[in-house]
Amino acid sequence: MSLVRLVLANLWAKKSRSIGIAFAIGIAVMTVVTLTVVSSGLENAAAAVLTIGKSDFTVAQNGVSDILFSSIDDGQLHNVGSTKGVANAVGVLLETEKINAANPLFLEIGIDPGDLSHFGVTVVAGKPYGATANHQVMLGWRAAQNLGLHVGARFEGNGTWNTVTGIFSTGIAYGDLGAMFPLPALQARNRVAGSVTLIFVKVVPGFSIPKVEKSLTSSHPELTTIRTASEFGRADRNLVFLQAAATGSTVLAILIGAVIVGNTMLLSLFERTREFGLLRAIGWTRTRVVFLVVGEGIVLAVAGSATGVGLSFAATSVLEHLPQLTGVLHANYTQGAFWRGLYTGLGMAVIGALYPALRAANLTPLKALSHE
Amino acid sequence: MSDPGVKTRSEIEAHEVEKIYDDGMIRALAGVDLTVAKGEFVAITGPSGCGKSTLLHLFAALDRPTSGTIRVDGYDMNHLRHSNRFRRQEIGLVFQLHNLLPRLSVLGNVEIAMAGSHRPYAERSVYAQKLLGDVDIAHLADRRPTQLSGGERQRVAIARALANDPPILLADEPTGSLDSASVEAVLGLFQRLRQERRVTIVLVTHDNVVAGVADRIVQMLDGKVVSEQATRSL
Repeated sequence: MSLVRLVLANLWAKKSRSIGIAFAIGIAVMTVVTLTVVSSGLENAAAAVLTIGKSDFTVAQNGVSDILFSSIDDGQLHNVGSTKGVANAVGVLLETEKINAANPLFLEIGIDPGDLSHFGVTVVAGKPYGATANHQVMLGWRAAQNLGLHVGARFEGNGTWNTVTGIFSTGIAYGDLGAMFPLPALQARNRVAGSVTLIFVKVVPGFSIPKVEKSLTSSHPELTTIRTASEFGRADRNLVFLQAAATGSTVLAILIGAVIVGNTMLLSLFERTREFGLLRAIGWTRTRVVFLVVGEGIVLAVAGSATGVGLSFAATSVLEHLPQLTGVLHANYTQGAFWRGLYTGLGMAVIGALYPALRAANLTPLKALSHE
Repeated sequence: MSDPGVKTRSEIEAHEVEKIYDDGMIRALAGVDLTVAKGEFVAITGPSGCGKSTLLHLFAALDRPTSGTIRVDGYDMNHLRHSNRFRRQEIGLVFQLHNLLPRLSVLGNVEIAMAGSHRPYAERSVYAQKLLGDVDIAHLADRRPTQLSGGERQRVAIARALANDPPILLADEPTGSLDSASVEAVLGLFQRLRQERRVTIVLVTHDNVVAGVADRIVQMLDGKVVSEQATRSL
C-alpha cells in the first residue's frame, strides 16, 4: 500500500466532497487562466498596432492610459525625424470606429501616401489615395474581403462615404483588417489637426537602436519608445492595469481557495481523527501524516486545475463571442497561462491543506483513538 | 552509563511507575513494579479504572510515565527519542475496537502498518498475504472490514500488529467486543502465534477466563499490582 494509493483511496471514499473541492479549485483556476488568456490576447491585439509599421521602434506619448490616446504634434514629429541615427520617421494617426456589428473596433490609419513604402505598405490593387483628398480610402485586403468591397466601391468610414482607391497589404493581419485615409482628412474629421498618434522610426543601418531610443527619450521625456510587446505597458497603462488585475486575481484566488480547501479538509480531519490516531499509534511519523493530507490536497489541485483549464476554454470562447469583444479579443493560450493555472490550484490546495495536515500530524495518538 | 535511547535487553521492566493525570487529581498508576520475560504471555486483569490500560499505553510509548522507569525490549521509555519507530518496529498493538480503515481492503489494512519499514515495497503485499494466512483469513484479503465479522476484524488487527515482526505484542481488551466463539478463536490465535513466533504478549483484560490462557496473571487494583500468579497454580 503506497502513500499514493492510500491518498487516492481516501479521496475516492469521499467522492462527492472530493469532486466538490476539485470543482471549487477548478472555478478559481478557470478565472485565473481566463483572465491571463484574455489579458494576453488584448496585449497581442494592442501590440499588433506597433507591428504594422515594420519599424525598428515606435514612439508614443509617455504615460497615456490607452495607446490610442497618445498625441504627438508636428514639431515633435519633426524633432524625432531629425534625431541623429533616424533614417525616417513616419507619423500616423490611429482611430477606431464601429462600422458594423462584426467590426465594432475597425482600425483607421491616417498616413501620408508618400510614407506608405516606409511604413511597409504594398498597394496590391488600384492606387493610393491623394495626399489631401477628402473622400478617398484604401482598404486592407482582409477588410475588403470581409466587407465584400473592391476598388471603386463606396465605403462608409471616418464619418463619411469614401471611394476605395486601392487595396493594400501590410503583411500583418491586424493592419490588413483596417483602412487607410489621407492623414489631413482623418485629422480633420477627428479634430486633431497637426497631431499623430504614433511615430514609426527606422534607424540608419549601423546605428545602435537602443542608443537612438535613449537619445530620443532623454531629449524628449514626454515621449516613450516601444520596441517589443513587453514594453507596451510604458505607453498603455490600461494593459498594465489588466495584467495587474490578472496577477491580483491569482493571489486572491489562492487565498480564497486556500480557505475553502482548508475548511473542508479540517472538517475531514475531525471525521478522521481516529484514523490519524491509529496511524500514529502503529508507527507513522508526523511527516508521513503531513504527506498523506497534503498529498490529498495536491491530487485535488491537479484534478481541479485540469477542470479549470477546460472551463477556461469555454469561458474564453463565450467572451470572444460577446458583441462588445467580437474581433477585438483573440484568446492567446500561452504556456504561462497554463502554468499560472497549475500553480494557482497547487497553491490553494497546499496552503489550504497545510494547517489540517499539521493538526493531524500533531494529534496525540491516545486522544485521537478515543475521539468519538 | 549506557545511552538511554539505545536497546539493551529484551523484556519489559516497570519500576515504581506512576502516572498522574489532571494536575494530580487522578492517580492512574501508583507505583507499579512488573517484569515480563522474553517470550512470556502475561495477562493483566482488574476492574475498570484500575490502571491496566494506562500501563499498556506506557509500554507502547503512547504516553510517558509521571515517575518511575519502564524498559521495553531494552528501550528506556522515559528517554525514547523515536517513539514512532519504536511502535513500528518493537511492538504490535491490538485494540478492543479493531480500528481498521473501512475504505481499505483487509490486505491494505495490514500493508498500511509497513509504511516506513525496511521491507521493500514489492514484498509488502506478499508478506501481508502471508500474515493473513497465519491468522486464517487469507481468503478475505480483498474484502472490506465492513464485510467481516467481529472475530475476523480482530484477526485482521492482529495480522496488522505483526506486520513488522515485532518481538512484543500488546493487546488492550482484544476480546472485549467479541462473541464467545470469536473470543475462543482469537485467544487460540494468540497462543499459536506465541509458540510459532516466540513473541512476548501482554494482554489486558477484565475477563478472568480470557486471562486464563496466559502464562501468568497480574492482578491490578487502584493503580497497583496486587497479585501475580502463574496460571497453572490457579
